[in-house]
Amino acid sequence: MKKRVLAMFLAAGMAASLVACGGSSASTETKAEAKTETKAEEKKESEASEKPGDSSEKSKIRVCVAYSGNLGDKSYNDSCNEGSQKAVADFGIELKNLEGTTPDEWKANLLSACEDGYDLVICSSSNFQEYLVEYAPEYPDVKFAIIDTTVDAPNVQSISFAQNQGSFLAGAAAALFTEKTDIEGVNSDAIIGWVGGMDIPVLHDFYVGYEQGAKYINPDIQILQAFAGTWNDPLKGKELTLAQYEQGADIVMNVASGTGSGILEAATDAGKYAIGVDLNQDNDQPGHVLTSMVKRVDTACYLTIKSVVEGTFQGGSTSYLTVADGGVSLTDFAVIKEALGDKFPQDIVDKVAELEKKIVSGEIVVDNYEGFGPSAK
Amino acid sequence: MTFSKIFNASLIYSTFRTATPIIYAALCAAITQQADILNIGTEGIMLFGAFMAVAVSYLTGSWALGVLVAMFGGLCIAMVMAVSHLKFRSDICAIGMGVNMFAVAITKFLLNAWLKQSGTFADPKIIPIPKVHIKAIEKIGFLNDTFNDWTITEWFVIILIIVLWFVFYKTVWGLRIRAVGRMAQAAQTAGINVDSMKYQAIAISGLVGGLAGAHLSLGYSAMFVENMTNARGFMGVAAMYFGGAHPIITALGCFFFGFADSVGARLQAYGVPSQLVLLMPYVATIAVLAISMATKSAMEKKRKSSLITAA
Repeated sequence: MKKRVLAMFLAAGMAASLVACGGSSASTETKAEAKTETKAEEKKESEASEKPGDSSEKSKIRVCVAYSGNLGDKSYNDSCNEGSQKAVADFGIELKNLEGTTPDEWKANLLSACEDGYDLVICSSSNFQEYLVEYAPEYPDVKFAIIDTTVDAPNVQSISFAQNQGSFLAGAAAALFTEKTDIEGVNSDAIIGWVGGMDIPVLHDFYVGYEQGAKYINPDIQILQAFAGTWNDPLKGKELTLAQYEQGADIVMNVASGTGSGILEAATDAGKYAIGVDLNQDNDQPGHVLTSMVKRVDTACYLTIKSVVEGTFQGGSTSYLTVADGGVSLTDFAVIKEALGDKFPQDIVDKVAELEKKIVSGEIVVDNYEGFGPSAK
Repeated sequence: MTFSKIFNASLIYSTFRTATPIIYAALCAAITQQADILNIGTEGIMLFGAFMAVAVSYLTGSWALGVLVAMFGGLCIAMVMAVSHLKFRSDICAIGMGVNMFAVAITKFLLNAWLKQSGTFADPKIIPIPKVHIKAIEKIGFLNDTFNDWTITEWFVIILIIVLWFVFYKTVWGLRIRAVGRMAQAAQTAGINVDSMKYQAIAISGLVGGLAGAHLSLGYSAMFVENMTNARGFMGVAAMYFGGAHPIITALGCFFFGFADSVGARLQAYGVPSQLVLLMPYVATIAVLAISMATKSAMEKKRKSSLITAA
């Protein structure tokens, strides 16, 4: 009987651990530097003169960014933060970051941002989609932006990326790389890997492009796919990646935010290779990251804030950033080139550049996952 | 072909690698459980240890010092639990949960304020626990895949399991601690200082918990991430229940978790839905607990009836 009571305590403990995780949501506030403040006020004045209705508002523009996951992931979230920090420096806005790791926290963070009367609330990822669909109509005076997905509401600006195009290039580079058996750690099997964070539609858009790119190079290539189910468990990411290496993959693409640092670490540990994502991660594990698929979340975030500052914010609009306009791209392979020296396969770089041109010209059309693409609503 | 790619020699090491952090956590919980104290704070002790190990290794360049400081840190937190539970008679589950929340917050705070990092902390200056490379078996494919390049702490966990088993069941100290756990009043009547035994159990548990954290951040990886334990401490507590605080059976329970996780990681690559695979460790937890509870109640029933016939 006593044991049973203890077991109940254990169950309660597990439940409470979720609460404990919930406690980790934190907020940081950034104040603009004094220098940029004057500049911002000038901007403000000019804006006020254009729109007399806004002249009663004397305070700075207040922006809140809600994240799914934590800052410091050296990936998606950090990229978004870079953009908003740049906006702080340029426009002197007041910025608030809300981090959260669980769906309850995301919802709570979004609601508190709505209630706090920010001029602009940026939902940094598609994890916020369902909450925004629910709450955007309830706060018609708040301007919202959501990155990575589309929400159709008059006060929401949606920004999404052609991650399928970027991943196409990454997949092609991986498929070419797995054939370079003279490089240490590359085996003769035509197998490449892919590890994602949470199993959400946007990651499938990545995967669709990756698969198409790899098969464009080698139709018989085998791609191993895995999801960690979390954005912040690098040890899980590491284990999944090591499992794929043990199954014959020699290069694994990371699409996993904070979980990804474990993926890149696994590459160094196993003497294999990885592809970074969102930010330039080539230097995170130098010599083991072939390239990174950079997604300019920072630009998206910066431009959205800029549009609010300049009064050009357009609710209900959707922008779609592609390879053509630099919204997604691969890095220049410089770090791996230095690490591999003479063995570096220059033909990969040339081939990627060629494919990039073909995508821009429309000669290659990269497939989208259902619900993504330029016309997605 | 597919089958052989999932169940191959490297799966053995993979299982062991995933299980090791949970084994350490389970042993940490098992030590106090022998004295009838449920160490729900395992998760927090582990997380704090993980942070201290990385911080010290980064600042001093010595992994050994990192491990020692992690163990000391684990000891400190365990002593806070011990004092509040034994001296001030607070509920051990409440203080354990408090420790867990405290660890999440304090490590985040120290990461920001002391090391000036947020979220993830990985740096080449973090010196990991070295791996044991055995030259002699390098050429033998199976042995090389299975036993080579284990970290020191992975080998040590095997020693620790055996040592704890020996201490619990073959020494006077072990007998006393189990006596305290079974029936404290009887132990006291026999002249055992109950509180002193409990203090000792919690202290050793803290040391092992700190080591568990050090292995997680310096052995299993070479980084610290906020809340990097991700419920591994709780899985350890579940495994401890499965094993009834017996070190060897507890470790077997952990291997079961590790196996579920490793096979899952391999299955995903072949189109098994990720949601199903990610469920496996939790299903395994429930299964393990259900089995252990069923066997325990069956045993208790047996004991009871034999007593009645004896009377």
